[in-house]
Amino acid sequence: MSVFFISSLLLVAALSFGTTDDLGNPRFGSTLDNIRRLAAPAYRTVMFRSLEYAALTSVLCLLIAYPVAYAIALHAGRFKNALIAAIVVPFFANYLVRMYGWSVVLSDDGPVLRLLRAIGLADSHTKILNTGPGVIAGLVYGFVVFMIIPLYAALERLDTALIEAGRDLYGGPLRTFLFVTVPATRQGAVAGMVLVFLPAMGDFVSAQFLGGPNQLMIGNLIQDKFFEGQDWPLGSALTMLLMAVLLVGMFGYLRRARKDEAEASR
Amino acid sequence: MTTVDPQRRPGLPGLPGPDAPRRRRLARLPRLRRRGVEARPRFAFVVTVLFFVLLYLPIGMVVLFSFNSQKSLTVFKHFSTRWYSAFFHDHVLLSSLGMSLKISLVAMIGSVLLGVALALGLVRARGRLGSYSGLIMLVPLITPEIVTGVASLMLYKGLGVTLSTGTVMISEITFSISYVTVILRSRVAALNPEVEEAAMDLGATRWQAVRLVTLPALLPAILASAVLIFALVFDDFVLAYFTTGVDPQPLAVRIYSAIRFGVEPTINAVGTLMLAGSITLIAAALSIPRLFGRSGGLDLLSGD
Repeated sequence: MSVFFISSLLLVAALSFGTTDDLGNPRFGSTLDNIRRLAAPAYRTVMFRSLEYAALTSVLCLLIAYPVAYAIALHAGRFKNALIAAIVVPFFANYLVRMYGWSVVLSDDGPVLRLLRAIGLADSHTKILNTGPGVIAGLVYGFVVFMIIPLYAALERLDTALIEAGRDLYGGPLRTFLFVTVPATRQGAVAGMVLVFLPAMGDFVSAQFLGGPNQLMIGNLIQDKFFEGQDWPLGSALTMLLMAVLLVGMFGYLRRARKDEAEASR
Repeated sequence: MTTVDPQRRPGLPGLPGPDAPRRRRLARLPRLRRRGVEARPRFAFVVTVLFFVLLYLPIGMVVLFSFNSQKSLTVFKHFSTRWYSAFFHDHVLLSSLGMSLKISLVAMIGSVLLGVALALGLVRARGRLGSYSGLIMLVPLITPEIVTGVASLMLYKGLGVTLSTGTVMISEITFSISYVTVILRSRVAALNPEVEEAAMDLGATRWQAVRLVTLPALLPAILASAVLIFALVFDDFVLAYFTTGVDPQPLAVRIYSAIRFGVEPTINAVGTLMLAGSITLIAAALSIPRLFGRSGGLDLLSGD
């Protein structure tokens, strides 16, 4: 047992070393300089754009995933597990190939735009690729499963007697949904938002495949600094900025979750 | 459960209770069944159908056009396997495939061995140390991949290690251990330690008790996580991209550059093969616990 434990300690040490190494960044020194460069308007634009895209992605995922999880958890009967597996399995298939397939679907001659044109919702100038919505669509496609799973778990756990009680107390279907079902599954929704937001914020493949030069996200900048620009110190500074934003978000979420728990147990 | 009339709760999943057979009989007689908790929500159904269409459309496109006789990605001429034969004659892609298989295999073995050890150790370790190490295990799971990629790259550069296939393997192992540990930890915790104690009372050494009692009980979860790790590492792109050297790059990295610099229809063929491979593996990982008589394997992915 002690062997197991020592090996675990060693690994944890190695792990923490791996993730905190760029904090110290001993080799490439000069810290303040890079941070000052981060304040440049160009970087600020990209940072805010990433925040905006990731936030919109979380909200869109919630709006899409809620009906899907709801229909499966409460109305799919014995097909529940099969349907959830049908959602989960493709999401663990190769991310690049999926994103590439998505870019084919959303391309100017792809099925989505053709359909929209046929029903008159788009004209020949409408584009999805190389626009902000295109990148967001990519992020949603990439990460919506992280929303569906916690929501599904929450809805599955939901006692349907609560919904019935809502109806018995003369709540209409919509009112019952808004005042009974949604509050009861709020924790699942919040967990899903966090789980979507984190990878969406750091993603660079979606902006690469589905966006243009005006849709770059912070991940693209980091990748560029490390591979094209060879400006490693700036790249690490950007990484740290990304990590800081995410940690603040995570911390807020954990505090919130603990408060919820305390309230629930009271 | 027992106080509630089963007829009033037809929407509830069929929990095995004392009245389960009766409920099942009721379900078979549609006229006896009361209305569900609510009418079927049409809006949610429409969204769900649309969602499934859009979920599989991109995958379907890739598969469809991998059999296209033309180079076009919009017009399907007729069926042909020319892109597959192009792939099987492309030595660069083939060597990348071999490299990816090798990396996945090594990462699978390494991370499962260490992950099992870690899961056993973490559950048994009491007190602060155990809970802190448990928390640190979760960090790689919530950190965006690009950050772990950058961190690994910096670590190798800082140590003066040349990037190669070996560095990819080490990074993949490091970050896959978390998955294995998270999957296995709850299973280990669910095991009754008295069984192990009983084995030792009956004369087994500590190691024998672990080997003959604990590990067989964990076998389904271990196998499932091994398959899962193989698929995840094989498909992983970001971490491999940051830590690979110039010698045959992993397939995912190669595909990324290929898609970036002009699309070759060979990618459709490679993509189809990769999709088929990973979907088979994931489905296998999900159904392994079922083969051993446990219900469902989806909790593998949600982690509890």
